[in-house]
Amino acid sequence: MKVSYNWLKKYIPLTQSPEEIEGVFTLLGFEVESVESKGLPVLDGVVVGEVLERNQHPNADRLSVCRVGVGEGKEDKVIVCGAQNYKVGDRVPVALPGAVLPGGFTIKSSKLRGVQSDGMMCSGKEIGYGEDGAGLLLLAGDPLLGAAINDVFPDDDYVFDLEVTPNRPDCLSHIGLARELAAAFNIELKFPSVQFSGVAEGASSADDCLKSVVIESKEQCPLYVAHVISGVKIAPSPEWLQTALTAVGLRPINNVVDVTNYVLMELGQPMHAFDAAKIAGHKIVIRQAAEGEKIKTLDGEERTLSSRMLVIADAEKAMAIGGVMGGAESEVDEGTQDIILETAYFNPSAIRWTAKRLNLSSDSSYRFERGVDSSSVASAAQRAIDLILETAGGTVLSPVYKEGAETDEQIEITFSPDYIRERCGFEISDDQISQFLQALELSIASRNDEAKEWTVAIPSFRSDLSRPIDLVEEVLRLYGTDKIPSAVVRFPGIVGKDDPICLFNRRASAYLVGQDFRECMNYTLRSGEEMKQWQTSAQAEGLKLANPITEDQTHLRSSILPGLLDVLKLNRDRKTGITRLFECGRTFSEENGQVNEMISAGFLIAENEDEIWLKRSPADFYLVKSLLFQVARFAGFDLANHPIEAIEKEGSTWQAGHSAAYDNAKAGISYQVGLINLSHLQARGLKGNVYAGHFSILPARLKGEKKRKQYKSFSTFPPALRDLALVVDQAEPAGDVGRKLSRIGKSMLSGRFDLEDINVFDLYKGEGLPAGKKSLAFSLVFRSEDKTLTDEEVNIVFQKIQDEVEAKTDYQIRK
Amino acid sequence: MEQNLNRLIEKARHEIGAVKTRADFEAFKARFVGPKGDLTQIMKGMGKLSKEERPIAGRLINSAKATFQELFDEVLERIGNEELAAKLGPAIDPSLPSPDANSGSYHPLTQVREEICRIFKQVGFSVAEGTEVETEYYCFDALNTPADHPARDLQDTFYFPDKARFGNISKKEEEGYLLRPHTSSVQIRTMLEQEPPVRIISPGRCFRRDTVDATHSANFQQIEVLYVDKNVTVRDLKALLDYFFESLLGKGTTTRFRPHFFPYTEPSFEVDFSSKHLAKVGSDWVEIGGCGMVEPSVFESVGYDPDEYSGFAFGVGLERIAMILYGIDDIRYFYQNDQRFLKQFV
Repeated sequence: MKVSYNWLKKYIPLTQSPEEIEGVFTLLGFEVESVESKGLPVLDGVVVGEVLERNQHPNADRLSVCRVGVGEGKEDKVIVCGAQNYKVGDRVPVALPGAVLPGGFTIKSSKLRGVQSDGMMCSGKEIGYGEDGAGLLLLAGDPLLGAAINDVFPDDDYVFDLEVTPNRPDCLSHIGLARELAAAFNIELKFPSVQFSGVAEGASSADDCLKSVVIESKEQCPLYVAHVISGVKIAPSPEWLQTALTAVGLRPINNVVDVTNYVLMELGQPMHAFDAAKIAGHKIVIRQAAEGEKIKTLDGEERTLSSRMLVIADAEKAMAIGGVMGGAESEVDEGTQDIILETAYFNPSAIRWTAKRLNLSSDSSYRFERGVDSSSVASAAQRAIDLILETAGGTVLSPVYKEGAETDEQIEITFSPDYIRERCGFEISDDQISQFLQALELSIASRNDEAKEWTVAIPSFRSDLSRPIDLVEEVLRLYGTDKIPSAVVRFPGIVGKDDPICLFNRRASAYLVGQDFRECMNYTLRSGEEMKQWQTSAQAEGLKLANPITEDQTHLRSSILPGLLDVLKLNRDRKTGITRLFECGRTFSEENGQVNEMISAGFLIAENEDEIWLKRSPADFYLVKSLLFQVARFAGFDLANHPIEAIEKEGSTWQAGHSAAYDNAKAGISYQVGLINLSHLQARGLKGNVYAGHFSILPARLKGEKKRKQYKSFSTFPPALRDLALVVDQAEPAGDVGRKLSRIGKSMLSGRFDLEDINVFDLYKGEGLPAGKKSLAFSLVFRSEDKTLTDEEVNIVFQKIQDEVEAKTDYQIRK
Repeated sequence: MEQNLNRLIEKARHEIGAVKTRADFEAFKARFVGPKGDLTQIMKGMGKLSKEERPIAGRLINSAKATFQELFDEVLERIGNEELAAKLGPAIDPSLPSPDANSGSYHPLTQVREEICRIFKQVGFSVAEGTEVETEYYCFDALNTPADHPARDLQDTFYFPDKARFGNISKKEEEGYLLRPHTSSVQIRTMLEQEPPVRIISPGRCFRRDTVDATHSANFQQIEVLYVDKNVTVRDLKALLDYFFESLLGKGTTTRFRPHFFPYTEPSFEVDFSSKHLAKVGSDWVEIGGCGMVEPSVFESVGYDPDEYSGFAFGVGLERIAMILYGIDDIRYFYQNDQRFLKQFV
């Protein structure tokens, strides 16, 4: 919302500097995005000129050669000009040779395409007046020929660009913001006086222009007021009006249209003027658009409407999209003699839907969708009529059509001043509270100090106030939110624990950082193309957004790893020497048409590409497996107790035969670990091996704070070791063999002592073994709680274990 | 005899330098004290001596034996040391760089997040987490932002198609799924689960349909705090934020509230801080976050009695704080993960 300092001064006697006002706006809750200083810089040699002749340039299609008068007794200048928006007789700023324009640009006499040019006709932008550089600045109001341009624009002005929050539609107007300043400075607000109080008795009939107004859609248009004004003379607006509109960024068009815009900016009530001659059947119907109905709006676009939208129509066609924008066909133009002035109240959510759907936001729709004060519809029309009669003449015909009714209810809030103090937490006196509320025109309808019960009447423009809590903010705003007294933090203790997700991330990150990994953060959204490589297309479909903004961010990530591979590539390209990366974050896994949000940790180890004086042994599967298992432990899972499956299928993102995976939907965990598929790496332009691990768990399955462990005693006696080598099928995983051996071992002990551990200490394939077999050598650790084991008792058990292995399994004992 | 012994010791001393290995040593030792060794020969000659000479000779021989033992010990120690040195390899050059010099590091956003969590933990806030995918109800409706409310303009949100199904994200009714535009949904779900008093801090990723530039990221992170109890006041909120910013930015940091509008708080404020500890900022007010007293209708939607309880919420953008703290001028660096960036914050 742009607000002019000079404009505000029409309603309040401001003596404060623009800087002070900027500060006050800020602390009232209107963030000041910019303050623009209007008015001209002091310009020597720039004067008012008049275009006397305009001829085509002999050598350039787009240039004209003009004779320009620059004042009585001064020689006319010949000026070559490239602008198109002017005609003979227009008065424009002329920079004479020697003038220096903003930006240090000095005007000289010079030849332009062979024609001598003695100066320059200027746009507003060229002389530092506004941002419009599209054409010459046409000077309205017949300024004195030859006068210094600074005399034409004597007033400095400051324009504040304010952020008005959606709860304060009343402040989308100068009067609304003036009211706020008046409250803050405790000065009186002067409303513009209204002369027009209704159609004069005996006024001529409006029948020739407008016979009826019918609201068919009461829900979307609760109130519609139409005034017929006959005999207006359409012309450029007077200078004060043009200046005011230009200051707040509006382009002056003609007196009638400018008045509607002025009142919009003054009071916040949008309005629209139709050319009465263009209304077919002298009839206005406020109805839903027909599905697919078309209208050309004032901005020149043809719009196709839906039946949820509201139009202002005549007997034949839509003339305007209600509350959003007028149509080009019923526009007021130079030939207009009779106008119909529309003021109305439209349903905010309907306007909002329409503006959004049409992608068409106007000053009107912006206000209607936030909520206009329906009680001001009539008075705003009167204000506009005053200004139309003043600037364009004409008479108001009878009758005034008013259909529907104001929607505002009278709202009162009953509260106790103690409540305000309790919520604030510090002392504000009753007198202060009372003064603040009244300054904001929240009049105190009744005040019972004994019962501590006050009632304030809420004016119709403050639709944001309905409860006592709303008054707390009003009181605080005027008290000054920068004056809230400081205090110490005084909170009672609450027993609370950090969420298990947070604990897992902390522990896993601390571990991986300790293992020299660098933590990365990648976007959650990834491309569909990539998703197809890491997921099936059905899975990818479930992860897709409805409204992505870019091609490369269309899907939820299913894995941390693609992002890490991107990071690796970026760092490789930049030769930063990165090797170990990780990220903890959310991923999304699709299964059977359902997506689950997972807690994940992914890491990778790449080869160091740099030559280094001391070579380290490269990463391998068993390193990343150990890292991954440790990460899983932080989630409360010991993966050693879960089966692990080698990835043998070709064509996944993992290298077959060099990676493994586990997916346990019941436990809500899954992981992949090992070597990333080499052809996948190649396709990404990554050379060398990349070992990685990715662990995911359903948040609900995370074990948070560990249960406090109970101490278990441990044996102080030495262990007895026995080695056992088994010849097994090459295809049989060592883990399976170990588990089977452990089970047999434990079953043979019958409580005499413990088989504490079984460790693989050798793996052998090749000579001396039958084809397709391998030898696994295990070390069995026996120990007793209460004595040193004798060879004899261990041997008995060890023999039993061997017998059982031979009897119950296909394994052969290698002697 | 004495001369013989001395000559023998002299000879041994002379040869000692040539003894390099344990095998050399065994041969060397045998030459003197082995069965045919020179010293053994002399000892054997004792028998020929007279009764009177024997004690003297005995003393001489014992002394020589001791000297030999010293020599042997000396050689053995030297060989032992040499063997150890061979095992150890050549001496290191401590000035050579370690090939393991790439240490691990936390991402700067993690560091700032954890620091903020620690500061709030000190005054009794614990971390609550939610999901990144949320529903319209928990992100908007429950937060006093109905479907056609203009406040929804403040956030342009990523949505999922109507057919999308999320297994572990519960819906209120049949509302649509979205990527949460703020972490306030965590407050709603927490309040639905537990009775007051509630004091939580919820960090997490949020998403808005912003075009990425130096200060905007479609994917960003927020930290929100929520405190609900009896008699919580605006002044308490101010006190907490004063404490927080002074903890984060150092003594002498001040904060300022400016009235603002958020649908889920009433009254609402934007928070500015000013700190002399940040060179780039100077003494200006820097906008840092939003806060306010929890809107009574939010309490109603989670079943708290707004007449009995009051509370406040405060939220900041993690990237924004990190950029201010570290003087980073482009938000995209956080998600590029250039190692030269990451390692600056160890």
